[in-house]
Amino acid sequence: MDDRLILALAGVTFRYPDAARDAVTDVSLAVRDGECVALLGPNGSGKTTLLRLALGLLRPAQGEAAILGRAAALWSRRELARLVGVVPQREETSFPLRVRDAVLLGRYARLSPWSGERPEDRAAVERALAQCDATDLADRWLTTLSGGEFQRVRLARALAQEPRALVLDEPTASLDVRHEMELFERVRALVDRERLAAVVITHQVNLAARFADRVLLLADGRAVGQGTPAAVLTRETVERVFRWPVAIEPFDDRPQMIPLRQPLP
Amino acid sequence: MKWLALIALALASLVCAVMLGPSHVPTAELFSSPIVRDLRLPRALLAFLVGGALGTAGASLQALVRNPLADPYLLGLSGGAGLGAVAAIALHLAGPWALPLAAFAGALGAMGLVYRLGLVGGAELDPRVLILAGVAVGAFAAAVTTALVSLSDATELRNAFLWLWGGLSGASWDTVRVMAIYTPLPLAVLYAAARPLDLLALGDEPARHLGADVERVKRRVYVAASLLTAAAVAVSGVIGFVGLIVPHVMRTLWGHHHRTLLPAAFLGGGTLLALADTLARTAIAPRELPVGIVTALVGVPVFTLLLRRWTTA
Amino acid sequence: MRPAAHSPHLAGLLLALAACGSGARPPARGPIAFPDDAGRAVTLAAPARRIVSLAPSFTEILFALGAGDRVVGRTTWCDYPAAALAVPSVGDGLNPNVEAVAAQHPDFVALYRSTLDETAAAQLARLGIPAALVRQDRLADVAHAARLLGRAIGDATRGDSLAAAIDTFLAAPPPVPTTRVAFVVWDNPPIVIGAGSYLDELARLAGASNVFHDLGSASAEVSLETLAARDPDVIVVLADSTQAPAFAAKREWQSVRAVHERRFVYLVGSLFGRPNPRMRAAVAEFRRRLQAAR
Repeated sequence: MDDRLILALAGVTFRYPDAARDAVTDVSLAVRDGECVALLGPNGSGKTTLLRLALGLLRPAQGEAAILGRAAALWSRRELARLVGVVPQREETSFPLRVRDAVLLGRYARLSPWSGERPEDRAAVERALAQCDATDLADRWLTTLSGGEFQRVRLARALAQEPRALVLDEPTASLDVRHEMELFERVRALVDRERLAAVVITHQVNLAARFADRVLLLADGRAVGQGTPAAVLTRETVERVFRWPVAIEPFDDRPQMIPLRQPLP
Repeated sequence: MKWLALIALALASLVCAVMLGPSHVPTAELFSSPIVRDLRLPRALLAFLVGGALGTAGASLQALVRNPLADPYLLGLSGGAGLGAVAAIALHLAGPWALPLAAFAGALGAMGLVYRLGLVGGAELDPRVLILAGVAVGAFAAAVTTALVSLSDATELRNAFLWLWGGLSGASWDTVRVMAIYTPLPLAVLYAAARPLDLLALGDEPARHLGADVERVKRRVYVAASLLTAAAVAVSGVIGFVGLIVPHVMRTLWGHHHRTLLPAAFLGGGTLLALADTLARTAIAPRELPVGIVTALVGVPVFTLLLRRWTTA
Repeated sequence: MRPAAHSPHLAGLLLALAACGSGARPPARGPIAFPDDAGRAVTLAAPARRIVSLAPSFTEILFALGAGDRVVGRTTWCDYPAAALAVPSVGDGLNPNVEAVAAQHPDFVALYRSTLDETAAAQLARLGIPAALVRQDRLADVAHAARLLGRAIGDATRGDSLAAAIDTFLAAPPPVPTTRVAFVVWDNPPIVIGAGSYLDELARLAGASNVFHDLGSASAEVSLETLAARDPDVIVVLADSTQAPAFAAKREWQSVRAVHERRFVYLVGSLFGRPNPRMRAAVAEFRRRLQAAR
């Protein structure tokens, strides 16, 4: 068994109850230590569903989902939280919390219900904050943070879990270019230096192409292409999937997509 | 430091409850007086236990439904308990435990019904569904209660409403013993769920990703908080505002960590109710005010103050 | 439940006969007008011949005034005298069913004065039925009702006689109180009777003092502690059975000496549950039971 293989989906098919068609059809995906995989595709193509299947939150009708070689459904939430740190697309921030305490929440899976926080937990929090360059934010209230700062804190929380894999669902939505780049650079650094595995769902095709090792392009729940960005993101494929004319220009040996003008009638 | 102050306040409230009362007991005779020993002391302890149960249940339920304006009675429990109690009065059920048991049964019925409704359509105890189901069940129970009350004669009518308003006049060492044996388990369940409750505030899915078994936590918190509230209503009627106000006041001092908030809410709730009951017994002596009225009179201004801070913050 | 002795019936009859007076005058004819206790002007074209009585006391008074045959409707609680049971019941007296009352085609309705019944009186007035709201909370109110009902049936003399007999009875100096009592009407929360109630008056007439006489209202919620501290000799309970009340078994109630020693006096609802003309019998019965409880 390949112990670097963290998440593995083999030919999974899934349909939500009362849905007209499958959300995901016959998709396979393998995510290993030290690599960054980007999930791309138009809205509704099944990216988040695929993620849920990979994490055992949904059970595939066909195919298998495995985590570290064991069926995803057999993993308890707690065990999984020690392995995979997820930065979800949305969360509620209805109450005031200090940054340090918010990051501390990431230690939940490693704490027993009856014991208090231990020195190693606080150390993990400090390390995670440092990794995200958020140490100076530690005593701030969550509600006072800007969008970019808040994302850094959420990433730190995921890192406080001391995971082997990071999963980020549209982490740069509503961030400006500086914070976008910072986030992707940070994830890339974590993958390279700490040998973490990373799965990123994003609409930023160009950033995905620059930072990811592999790309999985979905359309209508099917895998249109999987492989290096250069191999998958060809003009024909991109135009077909996103239904808009584009030009593909290389930059830093990576394909960059430039949408063309198409004035509406 | 805060803890010392809270514990001191709690003890002070108990001392007040024992020393003050409508009948005059000289301090020298305090320990030998049968009135203090058999009436005031168990009543003070019962007030503390009931207030503590309501405070803790309130704090937990506010986290469960992600709504700081939630109250233990939001989930239809008071309606169900009231219906059980009024049914017992109307049916002239005998026995000293008939009324509390009937109220408890009514509350459990409401709890089960709301739980079942909370699962409808795969909702999995979605907070909004729970709240709506609670309101619906509560309204239904209140309607049936009113019907029963209107069919009974005038004195029973008045007496049923007085019971519903809440009172600790049924306090005895027997009731204290029952509460003292009963409450630790649900309280322990809630305390064990303290950290997951912190996570739950982020939303179901983020909480799941951080390792919480969301369904199990929600079930346990719901059942434990409901059991605490059901017991409180069974022994003392519907005493409002304690479960709503106390968690908020404690949160301003202890923050949102449920590992510290829940015990603080217990102590705070106990203190509040012990003091409110003392006021209820002494304010218009020899007459007694229903304690639910005192907590409402105290609770409403405090609540409006909190509401202003909450909306302007 | 009928009380054990028959003397209440006899005493009531005697009181009624005393009210007859000598040389009965023929009842008056022609329109009758008087104000009721809600300040409303009640006008009857002629002495009432079809009366609906919405309080047990009024029913008793009407029968005592010899107008029992004119009562065409009563409440379910009107159980005295026995002849009253033959009269059709129109339901509850408090917040009455106006339709049921009107169905008896009355020309006069006597209601107990309360806010609930004011609405009913207004509705009856709209139907063209004269209605009077009469207070019946204290013993003197029974005399007052006798006067009023006497006017309504066109026999003011008899009404006034009955009223005078009651007034005389009430004016007599009460005996020196020898027993301290408390009336407990509910246990959770404890509710006792105060000076505002006719029961307090009956106690005084029977030689008992109500430990809660300092409370001005008819009833009030008190702490169990207060009841224990005031330590009445006897607890009076309105009940038709002589079984110890449910609260007697509760642990916290043992702090009240009278409960702990099971010193209860039971007063039947029919005679004691409301003010009524049989008060002489009621007082005698009360005194008898108090002595038995010593």
